[in-house]
Amino acid sequence: MKTKALYDNSRLKNILEKSKQNLIIVGALAALVLIFYFLNPNFLNEYNIISMAQSLAPYAILGLGVTFAIATGGIDLSIGTVCIASSVVAGKLYTDGLIPLWAAIPVMIAIGGVFGLINGLLIAKLKLPAFIATLGTMMVSRGLSAIIVNAPNVFYPTGTWFNRLFSNNNGFPSGLLWVLGFTLLCMYLMYKNKTGRYILSIGSNEEATRLSGINTEKYKIAAYVITGVAAGIAAVFWSSSFVTVASATGNGMELDAIAGVYIGGTSAAGGVASVGGSVIGAAMLVVIRSGLNFVLAKYNVSVNSTYVTYVLTGVIVVFSVLIDILKNKKKK
Amino acid sequence: MKKVILKMTDINKSFSGVKALKGAALELRAGEVHALMGENGAGKSTLMKILTGIYEKDSGQVEVFGEQVEFADVKESQNAGIAIIHQELNMMKDLTVAQNIFIGREYIKYGIFIDDRRMEKEAQKLLDYVGVKIPPSARLGNLTVGKQQMVEIAKAISFNSRLLILDEPTAALTSVEVDELFRIMNELKAKGIGMIYISHRMDEIKRISDRVTVMRDGEYIGTVNTSETDDAEIVKMMVGRVIYGEKKEKSNCPENAPVVLEVQNLNAGDSVKNVSFSLKKGEILGFSGLMGAGRTEVARLIFGADKKESGVIKINGKEVSIDTPEKAVSYGISYISEDRKRYGLLLDKTVTDNSVLASIPEFVKSGFINDRLAEKKACEVNSKLRTKTPSMSQILRNLSGGNQQKVVVARWLIENSDIFIFDEPTRGIDIGAKSEMYELMDELVKKGKSIIMISSELAEIQRCSDRVVVMCEGRITAQLPVEKATQENIMKYAMMRGGEGVA
Repeated sequence: MKTKALYDNSRLKNILEKSKQNLIIVGALAALVLIFYFLNPNFLNEYNIISMAQSLAPYAILGLGVTFAIATGGIDLSIGTVCIASSVVAGKLYTDGLIPLWAAIPVMIAIGGVFGLINGLLIAKLKLPAFIATLGTMMVSRGLSAIIVNAPNVFYPTGTWFNRLFSNNNGFPSGLLWVLGFTLLCMYLMYKNKTGRYILSIGSNEEATRLSGINTEKYKIAAYVITGVAAGIAAVFWSSSFVTVASATGNGMELDAIAGVYIGGTSAAGGVASVGGSVIGAAMLVVIRSGLNFVLAKYNVSVNSTYVTYVLTGVIVVFSVLIDILKNKKKK
Repeated sequence: MKKVILKMTDINKSFSGVKALKGAALELRAGEVHALMGENGAGKSTLMKILTGIYEKDSGQVEVFGEQVEFADVKESQNAGIAIIHQELNMMKDLTVAQNIFIGREYIKYGIFIDDRRMEKEAQKLLDYVGVKIPPSARLGNLTVGKQQMVEIAKAISFNSRLLILDEPTAALTSVEVDELFRIMNELKAKGIGMIYISHRMDEIKRISDRVTVMRDGEYIGTVNTSETDDAEIVKMMVGRVIYGEKKEKSNCPENAPVVLEVQNLNAGDSVKNVSFSLKKGEILGFSGLMGAGRTEVARLIFGADKKESGVIKINGKEVSIDTPEKAVSYGISYISEDRKRYGLLLDKTVTDNSVLASIPEFVKSGFINDRLAEKKACEVNSKLRTKTPSMSQILRNLSGGNQQKVVVARWLIENSDIFIFDEPTRGIDIGAKSEMYELMDELVKKGKSIIMISSELAEIQRCSDRVVVMCEGRITAQLPVEKATQENIMKYAMMRGGEGVA
């Protein structure tokens, strides 16, 4: 039948189109790595590769989570502070001997989930703009965790199963395997499960989705719960790579993770999400941060690399979204 | 004979090899309302964009006020005295009427202060000239759409425009507002301003225009004097064939067919008052009435899109509680809104995505959505509906209005709905697609589905309905068998204010 051939053909074209987009981001990442390598070959020493791989996990998982909130057409600014709050509250309970180390994991995930649920309810049920609702929970989570913990730092152990499992196993960055696993899980949730399908539909046209008989409130809440749970999971990886975690650390973590998502090709307007892109976007930020350190050190530039990182990341976010806009314009 | 102020001859325009205009032509005289008609895609917009300098023509002549012109941009056409009133208004809702009229050329006092007082005074003069009573200091957003449109006309006049283009100006107006608009158009006519009037509504064309020019497939078909032509002839010019179906003589639905939907004493604020009716299996129940009569509101209440205050809904004789669209869908009800873009479509998603949206759980196999299966189903249903699309993965934005409408219908066919509520099913789709939509509804009821069809076009109501419900001001004022649903009868009940309701 003629029509059948038609759709087989177009499916293939679609898949090619999508992988082309991902290839461009992977290519950009590879280019960045090469540039840093040429500027300072030390950048690709074994130790630094492992270090970068290790620090990827929390950012990548935050990015994977917030992709769901962004896909609805919303945003979640609270992910960074919720991640740190989960880490310090669970850490405090552990340091005070109230819970064993293993129990810190479900505590962190639960704290993330609760904040996600609060965000979801505020946005879906009470119709608050996502930016304002999550700006609120961002500030609340930061302040509240500091008050509850009432100590400048909490301590996590080193060299235990906890660190080997989530951070570094005798030189192997075990976080990478987890990131791979969570990426596959999120791809399933976003593309092959109806939760993701409805989340994307909401991002495309919320009212049309509701009038198609879909409980849009429920799925919007689900998106923020996924985002919150991911923040809790990110806290596990964060805690396993640092001995001390302070309430004040992780400033601007959410912005790094969100920037990675936009770089990865997820539309800020919602409806279009690239799960794989979010991870590659996070990897790009990790590479930039580390690479700039090496380059600045080699050429004896006495500028704090953090600030240069901000500048470069900012430029890349604006350009990657700009390119996307220009590309879409040409299509029309 | 009045002076000719616009003469466009033999206009050609291609877009990347595709001919959009082939020898198009249009002539407008001073003080004339000239209707420009044609199906969607006939080239009306392209022709107007060439006139206003948005597009550059490939060849042909444009003569405005006796001079050969070649506008490079909108500004130049504006300076030459041409203004266009768009279908969607382009004004700032939070600014006042005067601020909107003078935006971009504000009067300044002492070099730095905006002189609102002077702008309001000047705006008042313009509004008086146009003949509308709107305070120039009113916030635009507080005005009705109709009044806003009149402000836009006043704004156009303030540019000394002698040639106005009105692109479907009545699409969002109530009938009272349409009367007001036509009164103003007549005043402008008397002042010698020429107007090009683009609309699909035959009754309005008959009322307001002096001549009609018809386009088809980018070509000039002909120009006729409105008073010397009838609807059928214009339609024939537009489509190249006669298509409007005849009025239905009698109901196709058997007398004893079972009732599938029963609504009793439905209430919601001022917009729906004590509405009761029933729908039979295999019946097309037409809902007629003027704009704002409460028909869409009734549909949205039945579908659970809005909350009702009181009332009982029975499906197949059993009382049901429907407070969300989710529940309505689970009872086999579907609602196809007149505003497809807002309430129906995921414009940036594919034909498949849009077609299967309401029935995704059906395509989940062992935890995974089977997209192949979904696409197959979407393909099957859309080919039956004769949806014209290059592929199932075409983005919906790129389809024409009629085909977009079919995709929404496909969604509910795949979901296997029993009761279809069509709200203005043919709004904004061209005449060829219209008759296809009618045939589609006929096929649906033949298969035992039931349809509620809301329509503002009397001809459409008469062509499709087995029975007609007429509403006015939130109440049902009549339920007429199709034999008694004459235009006069329907209009009588549609304007029966005060609600001497007939059950």
